[in-house]
Amino acid sequence: MINFTFEGEPISVEPGTSVAAALLSHGERITRLTRFNSTPRSIFCGIGVCFDCLVEVDGEPNQRSCITTVKEGMVVKVQHGS
Amino acid sequence: MEVRYQVIVLGGGPAGLNAAKYAANAGYEVGLIDAGTRLGGQYWRHTGREEFDQSVHHNFDQGSLLMDAVLANPRITVHSETNIWSASIINDEVVLRTNNGAFITQRLILATGAYDRSLPFPGWDIPGVMTPGAAQSLLKGHGVLVGKRIVVAGTGPFLLPVATGLSSHGASVVGLLEASSKYSWAKNLLELLRNPAKALEGIGYLLALRGRKVEMRFRQAIVAAHASADGSLESVTIANLDSEWKIRSTYKLSCDVAAVGWGFTADTAIAYSLGLALDVDASGSISVVVDENQRARQPNAAIAIYAAGELTGIGGADLALVEGAIAGLAIAGSAQDLKTLKKRRKKLLRFAQALTKVYPVASGWKSWLSEDTTICRCEEISYSDINEAREEFDASDARTIKLLTRCGMGLCQGRICGRTIADLMNSTPQERISSASRPILSPITLGEVAQEGLL
Repeated sequence: MINFTFEGEPISVEPGTSVAAALLSHGERITRLTRFNSTPRSIFCGIGVCFDCLVEVDGEPNQRSCITTVKEGMVVKVQHGS
Repeated sequence: MEVRYQVIVLGGGPAGLNAAKYAANAGYEVGLIDAGTRLGGQYWRHTGREEFDQSVHHNFDQGSLLMDAVLANPRITVHSETNIWSASIINDEVVLRTNNGAFITQRLILATGAYDRSLPFPGWDIPGVMTPGAAQSLLKGHGVLVGKRIVVAGTGPFLLPVATGLSSHGASVVGLLEASSKYSWAKNLLELLRNPAKALEGIGYLLALRGRKVEMRFRQAIVAAHASADGSLESVTIANLDSEWKIRSTYKLSCDVAAVGWGFTADTAIAYSLGLALDVDASGSISVVVDENQRARQPNAAIAIYAAGELTGIGGADLALVEGAIAGLAIAGSAQDLKTLKKRRKKLLRFAQALTKVYPVASGWKSWLSEDTTICRCEEISYSDINEAREEFDASDARTIKLLTRCGMGLCQGRICGRTIADLMNSTPQERISSASRPILSPITLGEVAQEGLL
């Protein structure tokens, strides 16, 4: 199993799982808050096209959670703004 | 890094896989570039695990054989997780710049596929509303169910496998809504009879769903989504529609996921960058124009560019496989007779055309919008922002709307809202084609550009 954290909470998943799949399977819906209205967003297209499921990964913002594979020790956070 | 191949194939779905296989078997060194972590594209997306659940797929055996054949072929080099951010023609060569260096060739086969077409409606930006493709990709690629109580809605045959997959893996599909009429296939029965395998596939899904007490409701659509206190989806408003898709009456249904899709949009960004001739059909769908050998039109005679699959017109995996085979053989100048393949393509093309007639998107969806409905998700542009630009500033075309409001200028570069804006502004075919322009094909940091020595 691969271990990472989302907003500080530890999550374990099978190797090869995307961040989006990991979050959804642990009941975490909201990946980011929008820049202007701070409204929550989540997975929409699931295949890297729409850029709605952006998260911050190890301090790097704008990572598409649906096409980012979870790696050991990864620190994932909700993205605020863009 | 700079790599040259005799043939480069873009996309590891059914069309690209077959194109690579046939070109390699005809003697060429092939580079297969794909954005995904595993081959298969969206259609054969899979977990890659040993105990892999194949029941989410229609014909995974075929895909598995093809992927294994491609991976085992010494003439094919697969470059996965490779995103192209620039495609151009320089000195009689196609130059593709990616996160893994530059790829160069004189023979290119584009098989970049398609993604779900979305239409805006009030609340479609609430977490829990997603495309059927998203629900499907998470199930196929990760074995993850996106929710517990799911409404699958929109139009087109794709809703059936999605609802079936979700239902058979334990989700409660509380609604399966097809906006088109129950009788729409009746007018195209001949095409169904000519393609018994397709008809049987559809009937198979309907029977499986019926066994789980999921009945498809026709002429119904989700016209609004509602959030709970934490901001995620709690319920949807469903409308009974008239033939123009205007709302006749509504009812509410509670759910945690709404998977809504309206057919597909081909990913034409790379094709546009390379200057290929594009076409727009009556539904506003953009495709690459190809000749009978799948060769695309572009002015440089030193370069051969072919296209196959959804990119040349939405038609499904079987058609994509045939087109990929033809493109692979033709680009290699193979002496193999293409007659049988072309005959099969003709039959499948006719079926694809029937599908677009059976599942048209009627203009009444525009009446579902309210003033505060988000149109451009990235830039948070509402319907009232669009209307203000139209009324206060006399904006009469999609380009002016874009310049005034920034809709389509966000991270997705109009991939989601571009077609919607074109529909709202009644864009001409030429305007629709030029809206396919994405000078930067995928986001890249300035650091990566600098590494390439391009700054």
